[in-house]
Amino acid sequence: MADPSRSNSDEREVRAGRGLFERLGDIGTAAQATIPGLYAWAVTVAPAAWSRGSPLLAKVIACAGLASLILAIPLERRWPRYGRPVSVWGLVSTSAFVWALAPAALLPTRIDAGRGVAGMIGWGLFALASAAPALPRDGDDSRIVDGAPLRPRGKIPRGDAWFIGAGALMAIGLQTVGWNVAVPERALLVRLVALAAGLGVIGAATQIALGRHGRRIRPTRRVRVRRSMAAFLGLFVVAALGLALLLAGR
Amino acid sequence: MHAFDVVAGLLVVLAVVAFAVGSSALARAEDIHALYWLVVGVVSMRAAVQLARPGAA
Repeated sequence: MADPSRSNSDEREVRAGRGLFERLGDIGTAAQATIPGLYAWAVTVAPAAWSRGSPLLAKVIACAGLASLILAIPLERRWPRYGRPVSVWGLVSTSAFVWALAPAALLPTRIDAGRGVAGMIGWGLFALASAAPALPRDGDDSRIVDGAPLRPRGKIPRGDAWFIGAGALMAIGLQTVGWNVAVPERALLVRLVALAAGLGVIGAATQIALGRHGRRIRPTRRVRVRRSMAAFLGLFVVAALGLALLLAGR
Repeated sequence: MHAFDVVAGLLVVLAVVAFAVGSSALARAEDIHALYWLVVGVVSMRAAVQLARPGAA
């Protein structure tokens, strides 16, 4: 017979280790869709409503769309059935009205390509968050296996998120470089290089984070030095070349 | 955390700085400078990964 105190501690441990998406599931569908909805509204609806020549009614309806997004959060807690329809249909219908009332704002000459792509991403994320939200927490009665939840065999050491976060932050920092290029081809090349470099940095940060875990296959100091020797030699050659070119230029 | 992991982290930071300088040079149409710094970035990142990755080989 299972020990009840052991079962409770197991259950507590499993609940404490719940992931981000499981905890996100607790806040409700409409609340999850609010952030991408706000983004889509700010990028595609608000500029149209407040564009030159748009009527006052467009501004009022745009504000109503924003209100429906925010109103859906408490509504979902009180009446779960109505939260999502208010969020989705409220924003979509009011946005359609705004665009119909201010059609000049949608002319190709008035829409910047970057803003157009950002708007597409915003609406896509809103649709994804509304249609396929993180699943809510399963209640105890929904479990089909008797007994306490299974214990994980091992735990992932803490701190990985800091490595990945630092890598992502550096990758985002790289994306801020070179936005004032006038020639489109060069601007595209700069963006491509910055993107590739950012992905490489995230990959390297992930490798360093993973390198801390493999205790059984942790390489010795000598192995590490030997296998990184070629790269260090390359770094030395490049540094020497740079120094030589700098001195030759003076 | 071992000293090697710290060195690997510093190499990644060096790579990011080199990539930023390279991208900036590329934006200014200074292609030779850009190429140089991008190579520095790639080699630094390669050294960082080789230093930190697990596995005996």
